[in-house]
Amino acid sequence: MNKIVLKNVRPFVNGKFEAPTTMNLADGKWVKEDLTDATVFDAGGALALPALFGLGLDFKEPLRDDIYDFKDGVDAMRRGGFYGGLYESSDNAIDDSRKLSAIKQISSFAGFAFGFLGAFSMGYKCKELTEMIELAEEGAVGFGDGNQDATRTRFLRLAMEYGSMTGKRFFFMPLDESLRHHGLVHEGHYADTLGMKGIPRVAETIAAFRILEMARFLKVPVHFKQVSCGETLKLIENAREQGVDATCDVDIYHLLLDDSCLFNLDSHCNVVMPFRSASDKEALWQGLKSGTVNAISVNHDPVLRQDKEVNFEDAVPGAISLEIALPALWKPLVEKLGDARALELLSFAPAKIAGADSSDLSLGSKANLVVFNDKEETVVAPSLFAGQVRNCPLLGQTLSGKIKGSYLGGLWTEV
Amino acid sequence: MSALEIKHLFGLRGVSKQDIRLILDHAKQFREVLERPVKKVPSLRGMTVVNLFFENSTRTRTSFELAEKRLSADTVNFTSSNSSVKKGETLVDTLRNIEAMKIDIVVVRHKGTGVPKFLADNSKAIIVNAGDGAHEHPTQALLDMLTVEEKLGTLEGKNVTIVGDIRHSRVARSNLWGMTTMGAHVTLCGPSTLVPRNTELMSNVTWESDVKKAVKNADAIIALRLQKERMDDALLPSMREYRNTFGITHELLECAKDKVLIMHPGPINRGVELDSEIADGENSVILNQVTNGVAVRMAVLYLLAGGRAHE
Repeated sequence: MNKIVLKNVRPFVNGKFEAPTTMNLADGKWVKEDLTDATVFDAGGALALPALFGLGLDFKEPLRDDIYDFKDGVDAMRRGGFYGGLYESSDNAIDDSRKLSAIKQISSFAGFAFGFLGAFSMGYKCKELTEMIELAEEGAVGFGDGNQDATRTRFLRLAMEYGSMTGKRFFFMPLDESLRHHGLVHEGHYADTLGMKGIPRVAETIAAFRILEMARFLKVPVHFKQVSCGETLKLIENAREQGVDATCDVDIYHLLLDDSCLFNLDSHCNVVMPFRSASDKEALWQGLKSGTVNAISVNHDPVLRQDKEVNFEDAVPGAISLEIALPALWKPLVEKLGDARALELLSFAPAKIAGADSSDLSLGSKANLVVFNDKEETVVAPSLFAGQVRNCPLLGQTLSGKIKGSYLGGLWTEV
Repeated sequence: MSALEIKHLFGLRGVSKQDIRLILDHAKQFREVLERPVKKVPSLRGMTVVNLFFENSTRTRTSFELAEKRLSADTVNFTSSNSSVKKGETLVDTLRNIEAMKIDIVVVRHKGTGVPKFLADNSKAIIVNAGDGAHEHPTQALLDMLTVEEKLGTLEGKNVTIVGDIRHSRVARSNLWGMTTMGAHVTLCGPSTLVPRNTELMSNVTWESDVKKAVKNADAIIALRLQKERMDDALLPSMREYRNTFGITHELLECAKDKVLIMHPGPINRGVELDSEIADGENSVILNQVTNGVAVRMAVLYLLAGGRAHE
């Protein structure tokens, strides 16, 4: 544990930013007493935000640790100011309690709060149920689909019915594979102009409706990952009115990009869910404003350079975001929704969905924070990113705001 | 020689009228060269062109190869079936290896949209798109335009109707961009499962579901090839119903102008999108299209190479 004195910093306490002050940080706490032998950092009036919580982490370990591992992931979290995250790997289903135990061990970096989604079917194949009771006892936060369509509706019913004994939430990325039909991009005029196979909105809404109906029928709480269109948000609102316990998140990049970026044919924009139209992006912002959307997810999905340095359609889908989420989103979030709601969406609400402790700052308590100067700028350069991956759709762009450092798990990292 | 504004030919969307005019005018001159006893000019002597075909092609590749040879270029054919691509080499590595052999122009066909642009971003060579996915096939559209101009004098004000699988057709996309730029009015017609649903960016064309209405005022009809896979994918119930509803038949042409030009990018499914008597009939200009294909490709290669020489 190291000691740090943050001078000239504005901590976010009790829902607002305080006047510039000094924060003494030691042993992972914000302490009253003066510190000796401490590193002193003059933040120049920067903000001290409660650290962020990332929904949708996939650090590839152990099966693809040639791409990325937890060490890289934690490095990215330090660079981006994330103290925890909800982990689910598409390639590596956590489908028994020993796997969960092993991955918990791999991820035991001091002070970081990881939650894990168990798979509700073995290998996400929707053929055999997993031992959900044991997974829950081992600490699974909920049960997920691994971002793969639960195509068999009867299996979905049985999984949710069995899993309901644990009281845990089921997490789905709503996307009907049959309607997707090899589509990679939003089915809209950009896809049609480019002659690319599209994914229609109904591929999402039909999958979401099926899950919501099942949740209503079985009284099982559900969460929708990476909602990408306004129609799904309406379905969620309607279901909530009927008593369904449904939460949802939207992906960071879906708030920043729409399908017009396809004209650049940049393979970094090859992601699932696809970037939809400008009107969908606006609907997601409205969802943040109205409260229909509970949280913003990061969906940090590392892809090797050689798997992105190909033409768009042959690229491996996925994007990383931990390092740039805050500078990319802070300004538009604050301008449209205010700083309290911004932090709710990036930190407190995601942590709540994952059942993790909040990173709320108060003197005398545990402190996980990120020092952020909203007056400076960040150029999204490859050197910003941890590990060997660079698959960020904003590469080369200039963002408003700059992360100066993070204090996570009692360790100060100057960025 | 005036230079083209474009440095590569990725497609016809966004290509200026002046550039298209320049290509068509040069193609007309090369068309005359093709009628000479010695059908060869020295324009690309000393230059090397690689035909990089990742998709099967006989007609387009042969046409490009002939165009290159008629311009006295050295040509190399590279197909994915006999290449290191089969051994897992990436597209960029394939290109860089070929480029290291000091080539000047790459003619590429690939199943992926945007591959020509991707190659241009990663190479110093001049890139010519010979078909990328369902995106564009610009030289096919240019030869179609040349054929219409040759027969009707101009594209300005002419009505061109494209019938068939618009959704999956790179030929249709290139034609609608190119023809509208040159002042033609384009009508698109096909079964609802084979036309794009989102047509905002194609608002300068007419969409018509009734093929009889679509051909009524047409000066030229382009019938698109119907791929058999569309039946397997349940996009259509049968070839029979397609032929009876959207096929270019003698009966359908009774609704059209007497002198309407009948065009097809080939290869034809006779008795499906086009009846034999129409394909071989007096209105058909399909073989003219094939001849014009060589002339247009000569013009494209010549002008792009010249543009580079001017830098």
